[in-house]
Amino acid sequence: MAEVTSLIQVVVSGVLTGGVYAIVGIGLSLIFGVMRVVNFAPGEFLALGMYGALLLFTRFHLDPYLAIVVILPAAVLLGYMVEKVFIAPIAHAPEHSSILMTVGVGLVISNLLLFGFGAQPQSIYTAYSTSTLRLGAVTFSLPLTVSFFITVAAIAGLYAVLTRTEVGRAMRATAQNRDAAELVGVDTAQMRGLAFGIGIALAMLAGTLLLPVLYVIPTVGGVFTLKAFVVTVLAGMGNVLGAIGGGLILGVAESLGATYVSSGYRDAFGLIAFLLVLLFKPAGLFGRSRV
Amino acid sequence: MERAGRTLLAVLVVVAALALYPQLFPTRLNLGVAIVLFAAMATAWDVLGGWGGQLSLGHAALLGIGGYTMALLSLRLGVAPWWGMLAGVALAALFAAGWGWLVFRLRGPYFALSTIAVAEMLRLVAINWKRVTGGAEGLFIKTLPQPLGLNLFDRTVEFYLGLGLLGLTLLVAWWLSWSRFGYYLQAIREDQESAQAMGVNPTRYKILAFMLSAAFTAAGGALFALYVSFFEPHIIFDIGVSVELALIAYIGGAGTVFGPTIGAVLLLAAGDLFRNYFQQANLLIYGILIILIVRFAPEGVVGGWAFVVRRWPRARRPAAAPAE
Repeated sequence: MAEVTSLIQVVVSGVLTGGVYAIVGIGLSLIFGVMRVVNFAPGEFLALGMYGALLLFTRFHLDPYLAIVVILPAAVLLGYMVEKVFIAPIAHAPEHSSILMTVGVGLVISNLLLFGFGAQPQSIYTAYSTSTLRLGAVTFSLPLTVSFFITVAAIAGLYAVLTRTEVGRAMRATAQNRDAAELVGVDTAQMRGLAFGIGIALAMLAGTLLLPVLYVIPTVGGVFTLKAFVVTVLAGMGNVLGAIGGGLILGVAESLGATYVSSGYRDAFGLIAFLLVLLFKPAGLFGRSRV
Repeated sequence: MERAGRTLLAVLVVVAALALYPQLFPTRLNLGVAIVLFAAMATAWDVLGGWGGQLSLGHAALLGIGGYTMALLSLRLGVAPWWGMLAGVALAALFAAGWGWLVFRLRGPYFALSTIAVAEMLRLVAINWKRVTGGAEGLFIKTLPQPLGLNLFDRTVEFYLGLGLLGLTLLVAWWLSWSRFGYYLQAIREDQESAQAMGVNPTRYKILAFMLSAAFTAAGGALFALYVSFFEPHIIFDIGVSVELALIAYIGGAGTVFGPTIGAVLLLAAGDLFRNYFQQANLLIYGILIILIVRFAPEGVVGGWAFVVRRWPRARRPAAAPAE
């Protein structure tokens, strides 16, 4: 019985972590789907979200979960502007240009954070930082559980916007066929900016959600950039819904692997799966790419 | 061939000019060694990344193989560092052959992602395979034999070794600029399908380019290991190093003979200068420069300069390319 409980415990913690991976991955996937641009800096934006929430907490005593209300719109605007200033002008350049451009934007962000906040790890302490919920013999970290439900709500909201609104339809049309979307009157340039804005907002949301449970340093994002790549490739680049599955699979696989195989190689399981999918099933585990 | 002759002369002039560095800046030798080593490794990166157009963000793996092979053979088995370096070079070339065979079916961003994954896995092995690699604590090279009475820990000696390697990589780049092999690579970069239609086997030439690139990067890694003498997986295998090599080559001018060298001089000197103002945040200049280059001079400093020179007398398109 004890083994079963610990197995459930491991899976639960994997699912909760996987939610964070999923939300960064969805942002990356949306950007790729609509723009055909791989954002190489999701982790840096995640770090920016963490520092934003940190600043709001230390200056205005704003709880990270409430800070979302401030950070989300600011993040969409920031992402939109980054797209207009840095990425839109090189839309017709060879594809490695956008990779290098986002790498450059990421370097600027992480180094500005380093300059502004220093390299020392910082964290916040809230009443619930170490609280847990118990369900039978299984314990849930309270902040991770809350984050998970916020993640689910955010994904459901994004899905509703993409499927039920005019903007969402226009965005999906841009992803499916840019020229045809242009022809029927979709402002695809706006859609690209908006997609980047939403993608960045999701990464910064993930950062905000992580702040209560994770120390923040300016380079915290590197790990999450890799995770986001793994998630999107598992799901198929541009497959937004698949990224949810990709995130959960990665979270659980890491959690199981770290517990039952080797904790030192925790990050390797995802990378191996990543390479295998990339080489043998490049469209992802869930079939054709779709936004 | 006349142009190739002039380029060869320029290579010799550049190497001769750099050879004066230790006399001119005897107090800034650390920077000098870093410049020649990164110029050499970025030129090696450029064989695949610039001439072949395959954006690798995993070259730290090859640098690490070169450094670790030399250091481990020296520490564990007492093998002389030059043999260790050659072993590392051979191992890296073999590794690149297998690696390329595996991932060259991928194109564009997918290829770049796969190189990151492979390099990250090597880093994890280096951290976790403690018995062999010393794990996360890293390795410390304490003593080395002295070939011909040269102290390998001496910065001047390291500088000239690095300069020698840079000279070799520049000769490789020069060879690419006029040889059939170089034209094949450029054809694959510009349009893989057309190159294939003309009878060039893209996978074969990409793998050969990768092996060449890997061999010289590993040699640079071995010298880098001597230079830092203490190294840890998270320094030598880090994705940051891979990105740095790519940015140096792109900012200078990818797929040109002197681009990576110019990039290394520019970026490492600027980074050194900025370290005084921004402490650890000195990579800020890399980010700013790559943004400016991609936006305004996608062919790098070299391409931007050529553009300005070409346009200057007519001056019909003002402000088209801020070169530097």
